[in-house]
Amino acid sequence: MRGGVKGKPYVSPHWVTDAWSDITDDRVVRVVVDAAGGDNAPEEIVKGALDAVGPQLQVVFIGDEPRIRALLPPGVQDVSVVHAPDVIGYDEEPATAARAKTGSSIVVGLKMVHAGEADAFVSAGNTGAVVAASVLYVRRIPGVKRPAICTIMPAMPAPVAFLDVGANAECRAEFLRQFAIMGQAFAREVMSIPEPTIGLLSIGEEPTKGTPEVIEAHQLIAADERVSHFYGNIEGRDIMNRLVDVIVTDGFTGNVGLKTIEGSARAIMGALKAVIMDSVKTKMGGLLLQKDLQILRDALNPEEFGGALLLGMNAPVIIAHGNSRARGIAQAVRMGRRGVVTDLLPTIARELGTQTASV
Amino acid sequence: MTREEVFEHVKGILVETLSVDEDKVTMDARFQEDLETDSLDLVELVMTMEEKFGIKITDEEAADIKTVGDAVDFVMTRVDA
Repeated sequence: MRGGVKGKPYVSPHWVTDAWSDITDDRVVRVVVDAAGGDNAPEEIVKGALDAVGPQLQVVFIGDEPRIRALLPPGVQDVSVVHAPDVIGYDEEPATAARAKTGSSIVVGLKMVHAGEADAFVSAGNTGAVVAASVLYVRRIPGVKRPAICTIMPAMPAPVAFLDVGANAECRAEFLRQFAIMGQAFAREVMSIPEPTIGLLSIGEEPTKGTPEVIEAHQLIAADERVSHFYGNIEGRDIMNRLVDVIVTDGFTGNVGLKTIEGSARAIMGALKAVIMDSVKTKMGGLLLQKDLQILRDALNPEEFGGALLLGMNAPVIIAHGNSRARGIAQAVRMGRRGVVTDLLPTIARELGTQTASV
Repeated sequence: MTREEVFEHVKGILVETLSVDEDKVTMDARFQEDLETDSLDLVELVMTMEEKFGIKITDEEAADIKTVGDAVDFVMTRVDA
């Protein structure tokens, strides 16, 4: 069964995320959590990460040490704190800040991952800076031309993987081919979809539709035997209908698409609420539907998936929503562990690591 | 270190770290126009060069490095100094 419960228009997002909390291996994974990044730092960041902590999931907080320590319960286990005096703001130029601000929480945390002192990194801070600092300090898996931000997006009847949603505004066809391979590994390992189908986002189903890069990417992916189930092109309207399990696009289109869908979902839920609250009659109808509507709201809640994974790096880097609350951070930390203990990185290294330009 | 040796090192960084096609890397190749590197690639290149050659490159100096030849010449001035 793929995609959830037959006959139901949607399934709970827990279909994907339950496996992240279910720790069945003995491996101790250390996740660095940027306690200085995000709209709700450090309170919600610390609270969320503590929810995920356990003997096999240790957390290292990076940021303003006294502020972080004040939020920790006495005698807390499996948690440590590393001080970072600086923060990279949302308005700073990513690559420059990542190079210059070596005392920032993002750089200090990623350097720890690079040095092998931790296994994964989570931040709700400046996305561009996290991408730049990851490239500079954690480094790409050799052979990966560009990293891609891969998010899990609520769709019907079940979530889809969507990449790139913002790391690369412009993409050559070869990058898109690599995204297809990395997205396939992500769907298998992080989302537990054994045989994911891959779709290339375009403006028509025919292989000849789209920009020159997309047309060339279609040919490259179709001919690439590492991509097991290439559906072909899909259109914007197919994203939420989950025509495929993995949607590949460039970072500009992906970011616009993601935010359009998030905004639309919020607007529709708001309109629905306004209709329900309109009169006594509609309120009664709403009361009858309350439980089902909560499931729907749950299914559309991006917090459930914590964040997006920066694919192509030597370690899992999780970019959480800037406005993440505790639940989102807890899930991001769990996703980080998932990225470490599964075959995600070895698969990408195996499939792209030895690739040459002529393949 | 000769100019040719420095060129081979820089070429190695471009091919291995930035996955640039080897046959495109010539002394005259411009990073942005010919090698299609972006701003992040250039920062990565600069940091890798600092590491590899044990030198420091300021942001201002990095801004003047437009071609592979510029990079090689810059390294030559520092390594010889």
